[in-house]
Amino acid sequence: MKRSAAARAALAVAILVPVVALAALVGLSTGAGALSLRDALQGREPDATVLFRLRVPRVLLAAEVGAALSVAGVALQALLRNPLADPFVFGLSGGAAIGTAVVTVASGSAIGAAAASAASFAGVLPTQLAAVAGAMAAALFVFTLGRARGHLDPARALLVGVVFNSFASALVLSVEAVLRPDQLQAVSLWLAGTLGYEAMPLLAGAGLALIVPALVLLALAGRLNLLALGDEGAAALGVDVGRTRLLAFFAASAAVGIAVAFTGLVGFVGLIVPHAVRLLTGPDHRVVLPASALGGAAFLVLADALARVLFRGLGAEPPVGAVTAIVGAPLFVLLMRSRQ
Amino acid sequence: MTLLDARDLRYRHSAGAPEAVAGISLRLARGEVVGVIGPNAAGKSTLARLCCGLLKPQQGSVSLQGEPLSRLSRRERARRVAFLPQHPPHDLSFTAHEVALMGRAPHLGLWSLEGPRDLDRARAALQEVDALELGDRPISQLSGGERQRVFLARAFAQEAALLVLDEPTAALDLAHQVLLVNALRRRAREGGGALLVLHDLALAGAACDRLALLDRGRVVAEGTAEKVLRPAVLSPVYGTDVEVVPNPATGQPLVAPRIVR
Repeated sequence: MKRSAAARAALAVAILVPVVALAALVGLSTGAGALSLRDALQGREPDATVLFRLRVPRVLLAAEVGAALSVAGVALQALLRNPLADPFVFGLSGGAAIGTAVVTVASGSAIGAAAASAASFAGVLPTQLAAVAGAMAAALFVFTLGRARGHLDPARALLVGVVFNSFASALVLSVEAVLRPDQLQAVSLWLAGTLGYEAMPLLAGAGLALIVPALVLLALAGRLNLLALGDEGAAALGVDVGRTRLLAFFAASAAVGIAVAFTGLVGFVGLIVPHAVRLLTGPDHRVVLPASALGGAAFLVLADALARVLFRGLGAEPPVGAVTAIVGAPLFVLLMRSRQ
Repeated sequence: MTLLDARDLRYRHSAGAPEAVAGISLRLARGEVVGVIGPNAAGKSTLARLCCGLLKPQQGSVSLQGEPLSRLSRRERARRVAFLPQHPPHDLSFTAHEVALMGRAPHLGLWSLEGPRDLDRARAALQEVDALELGDRPISQLSGGERQRVFLARAFAQEAALLVLDEPTAALDLAHQVLLVNALRRRAREGGGALLVLHDLALAGAACDRLALLDRGRVVAEGTAEKVLRPAVLSPVYGTDVEVVPNPATGQPLVAPRIVR
């Protein structure tokens, strides 16, 4: 390791960009029906419609969500000084689930239905908004309770997050008792994490919105490295530890919130991608962050492609969150063992 | 020029606790190596943290190079004083070279990217403490003494005029103790200064221009080794009998506990 961080980051990006391109190619050419990429590019129907209306938006969504979750995972692992932290550790998943469940129940009532249709008219779905609001509120709650003597205490925050998530899932289970079967299915699909087909302007907007937290975290990357020295070690090197934590926390939560709004709770991406990337790049966040964004994009695009072909013969498709967990759990164990 | 001017510092860690530092004033000029000695819980580490701004004194003030700490930004403070804690972290996957480079943090810009000059500084700092060959190894795989040298290199790479080192020699073998003291003396000759918290009194006497003996948050003796390292001064403070004899080669005082078997 005699190269500068900038050089190593550039090298990692140069290696991973072709990987993402390859994953995108796989994602574009897999699906329920056979598709000729050449026909689609020459504008022949129905291939062109399938490619540009369905598969391109889907691959873009997977790439954006994968990148967002992975970058947030890196940041939260650094903040909590715990490599096992995932993007949902601050109670984000529990909060988002409560938000979704409550809105689903409320939309059964007259006032709720009116509010829902008004929000849908504005182009956003109320369940998505509720999920983001719930996630952010829960994160703030856990971040506040996880403090001891004015500092975020990583062990305490982790515990509060775990307890809050169990509390939330108990609440959601209770709410599910009063849901209609169709509502129940919508909620459980969302909880499992599902990629849908979003409109291109919405995807472009989400992509632009994700650039802000990504840049904030990239600017903080050097300071996230110093946090590994402990609060005092970082402070002795001129880091404002409290402000760095707060900024990184909000940036990560925003990225998770945007991802969750589209896809629900896709697990394991934010846990496994940073781990795999660190094996290649070492622990330097200035390299790990951009590399994880690309690695996460490739991972979720591939997982989604797998989800689409897994039960193709049965005409069914498992939620992508189930695939990331099924692939991710054994992969994670392998990574852990290879580290020792 | 005064590198450190601490005046009438007072600090207690929590409301009910006794004062860890109970009215200490300390000055350190360019070219000086000053040792802080004293029994456990005398306030040595707290004093060290107050001097580099990691703790805010509840009373009194600290100036670095004539500028009050309260008026310095965190980064500016880190360019003037480098701190080595008593127990540096041990479970890092960062390599020795990466940790030495962390010392450059107060000099880097918004994106925290280091240049060739920073890489050179880190390498030179590792060389200075005989840790260059550890460069590519993760901290978690180093021995206690090796790790200590890497964190010393980090403090050196920071290029702060004042070094505040808490027990820098505790994990080091004799040869590396001598190496460190020589490096500190060389830095002092070049216009730097060091405040060392030390338990090894013989080493303190040999390494430092001046010693401050602390007891229950106060300076009870201050001056040259010959003045402070005397049985009549040390025995009551440490609560045990000590013997002091001159080193046959250098004449510096050697302190030994009197253990009768």
